[in-house]
Amino acid sequence: MRHHASAGHAGGVIAMRGLIRFLIFVGVALMLIPLLMTAYMSLFADGVVTYPPSGYTLSWYTRLAEFPKFAQSLGTSLRVAAMATLCSLLIGVPASIALVRYSFPGRGALNVLLLSPLTVPGVVIGLGLYVLMVDVEIRTELPLTGSDWVLVLAHLLITTPWVVRLCVANLVQLDRSIEEAAANLGASPIRVLFSVTLPMMRQGIVAAALFAFIVSFENIEMTLFLISPGMITFPISVLQYLEYRFDPLVASVVVVQTAVIAALLLAIDRYVKLSKVV
Amino acid sequence: MSQVSSMNTDSHLRIEGLTKVYGSTAAVSDVNLEVRQGELLVLLGPSGCGKTTTLRLVAGFVAATSGRILVEGKDFAALPPYQREMGMVFQSYALFPHLTVAQNVTFGLRMRKLPKAEIDRRLEETLAMVKLTPMADRYPRQLSGGQQQRVALARALAIRPKVLLLDEPLSNLDANLRQSVAREIRQLQKAAGLTALMVTHDQDEAMTMADRLVLMSDGKVQQVGTQEELYEQPLNPFVARFIGHSNLVEGELVEADTFRLPGGTVLKLAGRYAGRGPHTLALRPERLRLLGANEAAPPLATARVEDATYVGDHIDYLLTLEDGSSLALHEPTGAAGTARRAVGETVGIAWDGANERLFDAAKTTVPALAAA
Repeated sequence: MRHHASAGHAGGVIAMRGLIRFLIFVGVALMLIPLLMTAYMSLFADGVVTYPPSGYTLSWYTRLAEFPKFAQSLGTSLRVAAMATLCSLLIGVPASIALVRYSFPGRGALNVLLLSPLTVPGVVIGLGLYVLMVDVEIRTELPLTGSDWVLVLAHLLITTPWVVRLCVANLVQLDRSIEEAAANLGASPIRVLFSVTLPMMRQGIVAAALFAFIVSFENIEMTLFLISPGMITFPISVLQYLEYRFDPLVASVVVVQTAVIAALLLAIDRYVKLSKVV
Repeated sequence: MSQVSSMNTDSHLRIEGLTKVYGSTAAVSDVNLEVRQGELLVLLGPSGCGKTTTLRLVAGFVAATSGRILVEGKDFAALPPYQREMGMVFQSYALFPHLTVAQNVTFGLRMRKLPKAEIDRRLEETLAMVKLTPMADRYPRQLSGGQQQRVALARALAIRPKVLLLDEPLSNLDANLRQSVAREIRQLQKAAGLTALMVTHDQDEAMTMADRLVLMSDGKVQQVGTQEELYEQPLNPFVARFIGHSNLVEGELVEADTFRLPGGTVLKLAGRYAGRGPHTLALRPERLRLLGANEAAPPLATARVEDATYVGDHIDYLLTLEDGSSLALHEPTGAAGTARRAVGETVGIAWDGANERLFDAAKTTVPALAAA
């Protein structure tokens, strides 16, 4: 009887392990399949994506050079995302320290304000910003359209909430007494900030930067309103291309873009172990 | 309180009328203390008694509502923590996770911008003191709890603080490590001749480490004194109960030596007292005696054995008096071994006059009358 019971228990453990492995497999597959399919599609020989393909070719990659718009827009996207990330860190990191470590009148309101853009649909923000931009342009005659800074400022609206949210989450779990210890050992508040608080927040800041970068880089719905003929972002260039053609070239573009981002992540990983961050 | 008048002139750290009010509640109210040069004073009390707030007030992490904190005669109460020159060991150790042991220990020295040669010298000296020299390049997360504790101590000692503050320094350690670490802290503190203020909720810890103790409750100092003073001469029922778990019996002093419980049970007292009316009687379990069957002395009280547990050096009795109130009694076991009394047996109890303490309705101690 007892023997049976323990055998049944062991069987349960094995079944559970099998189930967990299966779920992990499903999860990984769900993440990888779209990427692998894209890479696979980029090798199709036909001019219109059909399945099964009549043959395979690498020629789409060589033809990328004929479309400088992709490289240009990739450059714009990387530049805008980098600047939006940097600026949102400059706003979000001090803001999150203030929110967590100090109490001041209006703290609750500031918290809500910093997170609120996440609750408004991107299309709505984009339209609002577009109207505002045109209005400002008419009144001041500044050449706003076509400037990186319009996009950077707009992206700040959606990247800063992420930075604040991640940095706040990081800060609340840091032991406050570590900062007190620094003060106790003779560090003035400004030195506590630079020699203890910020170094301890490193992982949170890196995670925040990654999220901010990704949020800015992949944004379409808000950006759509703010681009101008001379300056479009990468996702929009892909979208525009797809409006006229549906050939494997676009898949090869995406593969190249993924490779660029992966290379960036690997470079960051050399300095901060990303597996510990996200 | 009476401590103010008895303050020594050789006090190194002196706290006068220290008060901290949060909203409408006083976390610390009118605390007066003095710590002599080289003395370890332990603040003891249940959680929420104000001991930690007192320590944080001294460290400067909390601003005092009123009162003075004098070190060598200079008032520190208005200074920010980074100008107080006090070394603190935190309950969580609070080591800098991103710095090595050596960088942790020298943090305070670098903040003081000491010359590099001096920093190196002190690092070497301090690490040797806490026996962590081989660990200098490790990060805190690579150390055991005991080692982290020593880094925290070394970091506080390296700045040669005017006062060493210890916040529950042993509470995060394994039980079997506590004693040796307690001894180590005590040794280092004595060797450096440091004036120290420590907070703990653990009575044993306080008793073993302190030169003198401060028992706090409800933000107020209940009693200051040596171990003997707190144990033998508690000033009020709270002290009697907290230090050594006295039995507290509420009742009425109806005659000079007769104490009547609310249920009507009457106890005889060993001493004679002038007062009448409601009093609290404090009796230490280990100072009560069970009378043998053929003992000549009349019992002061009789009780029924509810439970008897043999715990090695003594037998732990739970007794009930006639009116149902319970009483703990510890009977030491002798070389010949002591027989446990049976549950349900009626026993006579007696105690010496020196071991009974009576408190009046104002919770102040009532002295016994001189023997007639």
